[in-house]
Amino acid sequence: MAEKLIELKNISKQFPGVLANDNISLDIEKGEIHAIVGENGAGKSTLMKILYGLYQPTFGEIYIKGEAVKIKTPLDAIKLGIGMVHQHFMLVPSFTVAENIVLGVEPRKNMFFTNYNQAVKITEELSEEYGLRVDPHAKVESLSVGIQQRIEILKVLNKGADIIILDEPTAVLTPQETEELFKVIRSLVDKLGKTVIIITHKLQEVLALSDRVSVMRQGKMIGTLETKHANEQILAEMMVGREVLFEELKRKNIAKKEVLKVRDIKARDNRGLMALKGVSFNLHSGEILGIAGVEGNGQSELLEVLTGLRLAEEGSIIVNGVEAINKEPLEIRELGISHIPEDRLSTGLSRQATLTENMILGFHRKEPYAIKGIHLNRKKIRERADRLIQEYDIRTPSQDIIADNLSGGNMQKMVIAREFSFDSQILIIAQPTRGVDIGAIEFIHKEIVDKRNEGAAILLISADLDEIFRLSDRIITLYEGEITGEFLSKEITKNEIGLYMTGKEKALKEGGR
Amino acid sequence: MKDKKNTEYLISLFLSIFASLIIGGFIMMANGRNPIVGYSSLINGAFGSKYNIATTLAKTVPLILTGLATSISFRSGIFNIGGEGQLYLGAFGAALIGITFVNLPAILGIPLAILFSAIAGGLYALLPAILKVKYRIDEVIVTIMLNTVAVLFTGYLVNYPFATDVGKLGATDIIADSYQLSRLVRLSTLNTSIFHVIVITIIMYYLLERTSIGYEIKMVGQNLNFSKYGGINVKGRMIFAMVVSGALCGIAGAFEVLGVHYRFLQHISPGYAWDGMLVALIVKNNPLGVVLMSIFFGALKTGSISMENATGIPSELISVIQSIIILFIAGEAGFKAKIKNYFAGKGRRKKVGEENA
Repeated sequence: MAEKLIELKNISKQFPGVLANDNISLDIEKGEIHAIVGENGAGKSTLMKILYGLYQPTFGEIYIKGEAVKIKTPLDAIKLGIGMVHQHFMLVPSFTVAENIVLGVEPRKNMFFTNYNQAVKITEELSEEYGLRVDPHAKVESLSVGIQQRIEILKVLNKGADIIILDEPTAVLTPQETEELFKVIRSLVDKLGKTVIIITHKLQEVLALSDRVSVMRQGKMIGTLETKHANEQILAEMMVGREVLFEELKRKNIAKKEVLKVRDIKARDNRGLMALKGVSFNLHSGEILGIAGVEGNGQSELLEVLTGLRLAEEGSIIVNGVEAINKEPLEIRELGISHIPEDRLSTGLSRQATLTENMILGFHRKEPYAIKGIHLNRKKIRERADRLIQEYDIRTPSQDIIADNLSGGNMQKMVIAREFSFDSQILIIAQPTRGVDIGAIEFIHKEIVDKRNEGAAILLISADLDEIFRLSDRIITLYEGEITGEFLSKEITKNEIGLYMTGKEKALKEGGR
Repeated sequence: MKDKKNTEYLISLFLSIFASLIIGGFIMMANGRNPIVGYSSLINGAFGSKYNIATTLAKTVPLILTGLATSISFRSGIFNIGGEGQLYLGAFGAALIGITFVNLPAILGIPLAILFSAIAGGLYALLPAILKVKYRIDEVIVTIMLNTVAVLFTGYLVNYPFATDVGKLGATDIIADSYQLSRLVRLSTLNTSIFHVIVITIIMYYLLERTSIGYEIKMVGQNLNFSKYGGINVKGRMIFAMVVSGALCGIAGAFEVLGVHYRFLQHISPGYAWDGMLVALIVKNNPLGVVLMSIFFGALKTGSISMENATGIPSELISVIQSIIILFIAGEAGFKAKIKNYFAGKGRRKKVGEENA
């Protein structure tokens, strides 16, 4: 193995105000699967974009097979045999698979027209050669995310790549699709001698798949180890730079009382298509109900309907006996529902507002923060902000910093602090730890379970199946706007859930239990 | 609320002003004039005597009002570019009251005229606000076009139905004596409207900075989704901000009539609303900043005339200086990043990262 295929030497990349890569050196050996892990913002993607020619390093050199190279554009990278599959796919949805695969290197009939039959043939040959089954005539928009990813990989292979960079490839996959992808990667490496670099922050996947793993933190390379010498604890500590305790979350048994009854909700998405086709469930105090599903199966719409941000066409939402469907967000809040939105940047906070301003939203008309509901009592508001910053361990030099200067984890803690401080009976929590560092994840998980133990009813929506399993008492699966199953979390495995998430299995529906 | 950003902004603001004054100096030199002489006559012209100070303050009055009007609308994220039209309608409204109810005593008449002009301006801003929140019609386009409508409409009114008998002036009759605000300094047009403006400024500052309404307006302007999610009546706040903005412009018009010209004139505003918008933009919609910047602009205007008289440097140079300030302020973020990068040693960083992660 030990032939060095790629050597990155002392790479630094300076963005305005940010040193994204700080003197990074990394060797990639031929025929290995090399994982690069690190938290959001550690500089992994930046480093790979430098290798793929999307960014120019401020300092440093790249050697391929011992020769110094300058990679100025992705075209240069492709010529050197480097291909990249981005986290967000770069496919044309209205084109067929074959058209997408030959895009940019189309076989031509003459000067103007693409030879479609030739494209189909190329696709079939590729598909055969690499054992990646696809239907060349299918339109990309009709295919699942897993298949789309396969097309991305074929596209890269078609351009003759020997080195394939995969950026967070499993972020949107179900457990089955992930397993499938890993098999593909393995066979590319073992049978065809390709080299794969995979960027991820999921440690279990690293351990399952890679030969070697490099850890980055805050723009620096912390170290590279053989995967067989690594375990989750070691990697997590390298990633965050301190000891990480994976504490068992303690659950108390709480008397359960039905507080939220959702019946037969139907709603459309922004394009006017039916996104929810009759969703029903119940939520009890003292439980965490997880909604598992591949992103884009109606989760966002469900959240918005429940919190009054989207109008439902039909259905009913009974909060403690009161009908709340299609009420204004303020009325719903006053019924005792708090909400941690899935996208903190666009909905959960205002980036130009200070922490203080961000944390007073919803309280800004309430005593004692607003005297007679109008005159802001700055002293009380500041005291409250200070208290929450303490309680929720928000790392900030001051409450007068604007939110944009906080890290993702601290932004999220700020949102959680605000919403939890309403002391609402019902909490609707979406993607609570997306883009949040490991230390903060632990903290947030603990806060959520604490709220449950205090008797709150919690609806949890997350794209991260591990998170759903770790936190939920009960899980329902959402597929194409319908609920396909309901389980107690200790009675089901991740793989089984995966089948319900993709609609391959469907439990009998009885309109909620 | 206090913030490191504010201090940084103040520094860049002063640097911008300083730099543009220096560039202005170079322009004077290029024309063979001595910038020191030029600027000293400018300062002298703006503040050199009681009369000069009064003139500067008189020029400040409409700027503060239109500046505050811009502040509240821009803060809420709905852009009132129709201040000029609202000002014309407000001015005409005040004049109408002043020539109609000639027997009212000052204590009733003046508030009535001001109130009426505020309503005229406010209603004229309500229309685009409703179009915006109900039908998502772009308020910038609508308000710009409504400017022309208001200017031409009032132009028609003062040339035909309400034209004065004294001759073809493009003006109404003089308003009744009881409506005329007293002048404070001999020969200058500075009048008691400045006291009204002080009160209005305090109210606006309180509203924007110390009340939950002000907070909601700010949040709506910063992030619409966030505000909806937090239970703010977003549409209501936008309409409110727009109407208050229109009312302030209307009042600015009223003071031109009640305090300066004592009648409505066809071309009563040389673009006060636009200058007010510049003022608000430069100070990022901060109400106290509006006051200070308005005084600065007022001083430049007054001083430039003395400068022209004394040294022959054309008063238009002031427009050049104002424009350069705007350019610098517009480039603020970029300059700041460059400077920060320059000083950013290794190991110093705020956030590290994949910007699209």
